[in-house]
Amino acid sequence: MLQVSDVTVRYGKTIAIEDANLEARHGQIVGFIGADGAGKSSLMHAIAGVVRFTGSITYDTFTYRSPKEAEPIKDKIGLMPQGIGLVLYDELSVDEHLDFFSDIRGLRRDAEYHRYRQRLLEMAGLAEFGGRLAKNLSGGMQQKLSLICTLIHRPDLLILDEPTTGVDPLSRKELWEILDDNRRQRNSITLVSTAYMSEASKMDAIHLFDEGHIIARGSAAKLIDSVRPYTYEETTCEGCITFGGRTYSLQALEAKHAEPSLESLFFVNALQKGKIPPPITIAPRENPIDIPPVVMEAKGLTKRFGDFVADDHIDMQLRRGEILGLLGANGAGKTTFIKMLLGLYPIDEGELYLLGKRIRSYEDRIALKNKIGYMSQKFALYKDLTVLENLLYFANMHQLPLSKAKKRIDKLAEGLGFAQYLHSFPRELPLGINQRFSLAVAILHEPVVLFLDEPTSGVDTIARAQFWKLLHELKNRWNISILITTHYMSEAEFCDRVVVLKRGKKIVDDTPANLHATYPEAKSFEDIFIHFYKDAR
Amino acid sequence: MRAFWSVFGKEILLFLRSFGLVAVVLYAFTADIYIAGEGIQVKPRHVKVGYVDYSGGYLANKILSHLHAPEFEKPRAFTSVEALHKAIFDKEIIVGLVFGSDFERSSYRSHRAKVDALIDATAAAQSFVTLGYLQNIVLGMSDIIFPVDLRIHKLFNQNADSKIFMSFTEMLSITTLLAVILSAMVFVKEKEEGTWDIMLLMPTNAKTIILAKALSQVLIILGGILLALGFVVLGIFDAPMNGSFWAFMLLSLLYSLTSIGIGFFIAAASRTIMQVAQLTILIMMPLIFLSGAWTPIYAMHPVLQKFSLLSPLRYYIEGSESIFFRGASILDIWPSFVAVALLGFILFVVGYRKIGRLF
Repeated sequence: MLQVSDVTVRYGKTIAIEDANLEARHGQIVGFIGADGAGKSSLMHAIAGVVRFTGSITYDTFTYRSPKEAEPIKDKIGLMPQGIGLVLYDELSVDEHLDFFSDIRGLRRDAEYHRYRQRLLEMAGLAEFGGRLAKNLSGGMQQKLSLICTLIHRPDLLILDEPTTGVDPLSRKELWEILDDNRRQRNSITLVSTAYMSEASKMDAIHLFDEGHIIARGSAAKLIDSVRPYTYEETTCEGCITFGGRTYSLQALEAKHAEPSLESLFFVNALQKGKIPPPITIAPRENPIDIPPVVMEAKGLTKRFGDFVADDHIDMQLRRGEILGLLGANGAGKTTFIKMLLGLYPIDEGELYLLGKRIRSYEDRIALKNKIGYMSQKFALYKDLTVLENLLYFANMHQLPLSKAKKRIDKLAEGLGFAQYLHSFPRELPLGINQRFSLAVAILHEPVVLFLDEPTSGVDTIARAQFWKLLHELKNRWNISILITTHYMSEAEFCDRVVVLKRGKKIVDDTPANLHATYPEAKSFEDIFIHFYKDAR
Repeated sequence: MRAFWSVFGKEILLFLRSFGLVAVVLYAFTADIYIAGEGIQVKPRHVKVGYVDYSGGYLANKILSHLHAPEFEKPRAFTSVEALHKAIFDKEIIVGLVFGSDFERSSYRSHRAKVDALIDATAAAQSFVTLGYLQNIVLGMSDIIFPVDLRIHKLFNQNADSKIFMSFTEMLSITTLLAVILSAMVFVKEKEEGTWDIMLLMPTNAKTIILAKALSQVLIILGGILLALGFVVLGIFDAPMNGSFWAFMLLSLLYSLTSIGIGFFIAAASRTIMQVAQLTILIMMPLIFLSGAWTPIYAMHPVLQKFSLLSPLRYYIEGSESIFFRGASILDIWPSFVAVALLGFILFVVGYRKIGRLF
């Protein structure tokens, strides 16, 4: 039994998690769901006894209030921090990792140990890769190795911080199987956080995190029941939020009720807090232009880093006014592909056509730079410049006349809902605002094609919904083509067409509607893509 | 041109907004130079001397009475040679003198007395200079008629003040160090914060961006030099200014371009600020050592002397010293100008190519 009472974690002045309470019984898998910065990791680190906190935590009969007091039970705790392969050492093999983690825990190497170790290796599908170095494992295999390294000393309290983020769907399924098996065999308490709502069904109890508070808890079914009265089929009304074919409202509406999902909880929570996201508007293009029917065409694009083939003969077409989702796990080759399109990496093999022109040289690209918009991973902009200064800087670089630039910036700030933050520094703003402001930077010069690299990862549900709405609005108003990469398979729903990459190879290229038609029994895109992943293995 | 000024202005603004960097630059150009001038002393100061006097006479006391402040602390008496040894071993004193029992007698009779001096050679500079002092004291007390008299005329730095030299060369070394670090940082910071890709995608040619970034740092460096010169070197240490101020600024400008060329190399090779710091130290140490900032070049090993011809800092120091202390004009020291300009041109162009390849 784990009991957390009034735990608060502060980093300087910022409160990461405030007055958190929770209970977990042996044999349970307890899930933490929420956006980056919602407080999941901080609470996990407090329970693991690695950060200072106020309040108290009781594990079985042992109570601790600080990392120091937690010392006696540390051999019962297994913590796997966030980040793929973070606990691994590049130059050690799978076997050496297990040896190392066994040695620092002082485990006795008896017959029982070897039986357990072999079972873990087999469950993780790593039994035949004992000699392979960690750096040569895929992201999914690295996470499975990290997990069994955490399990090797048989912890009774297992704390896993986003073990599945960025991992391919098949490996994710296998990770969950290991967890499920472990809790049944060992009757341990498992705390696990995730960025994927679809994994909630595998948990016994769910805690939803939002801005440093646990806003809801219970089983998935119970939680979904709680928001059913507020969920309607798509309609228009005042003071409500509409997204993904559903409308959420606290007042009773004429419309029929719809079946909510776990994500609905975040929308209803926002309504209850009175935080209705501002509407998004995109002004029409100032300079209308003709766009060819095919905006980008890649024929057999290949990129190698030494022996490693990051992208293997990929064909792709991006049509006018189309949102193309480029899906795949971490390391599948999405970012490398986009960087080839942008000319940030030289192309090793294949042909690339942008706006009907074959791209061969640096000069070809320079001519096209004004037509391309790009938003990089993690919304990288100048941290020491204010939002307005950033925008003005990029306007200058695109040679926009100053008065015109100012007008356009005002319009974008107004339309994308960050007008009141123009004089703030990016680091002071929530991730969702930064995301929209980065998009404003990318479209300031009115490009005809937009490349977005993981723009939705780590952002909370509502900001993500806003962002997808924004992209559709942009597509409709400007007839722009958008290539967007994501590791959330569920976001395939919002694309016109999806391409799935697996270890540098294209395994899917189809419309969501077609995919649904081909696999009518699948509940989600996750399930559909697992088929392809299995076939491509 | 507009793009140039945008990048230039952005870099200056980013510099002014990063508190840590401004603090480091201000410290380096003021306090660090002051400390270098004030703190590094080759003259003996507060040297601890011990002695054992078996002679018990007037002469030993007379010699000891010459060891006084500020060069020496009052000599401590020890009862035995063993105690003296131990005191040196324990670093209580660095020089120990032993006056034998026949010291006074033999000095009067045969003029051939001898004092044993034990010195701690790990404090080499201080103890050897102390030895020189002792020799002078002894020499002054005996009336030897020596046929040659050395009369010294001090030129250029009449007070023979090492503070001015130390602070001056420190300023030039700091200029090198900061020019290299700052110019590498403006590029590597973009890599570290992930803005590099976006910068590359701007429809501005690479030349403009690189030049704007580099020249913005030149401005900061020249500002720093003015600060150091005005407040510390000329202000506190009162260095002479015999030559043309503008000639020095021109030389500094040429030289900062040289340093920035080195900065380009480092920026091309590093991915994080940490790597910049490591590489800078690796490259700067031999560069400064070979320049003659710490040791005169003629005192180096002949091979190293040849190598020192490659250190641009050598010509910067030679040229600047001539301007300040000898009052040389550009025409007098044109070789320094040409050397700095030539090395600067090569380093800048090659470094520029290296960083340009990343664009």
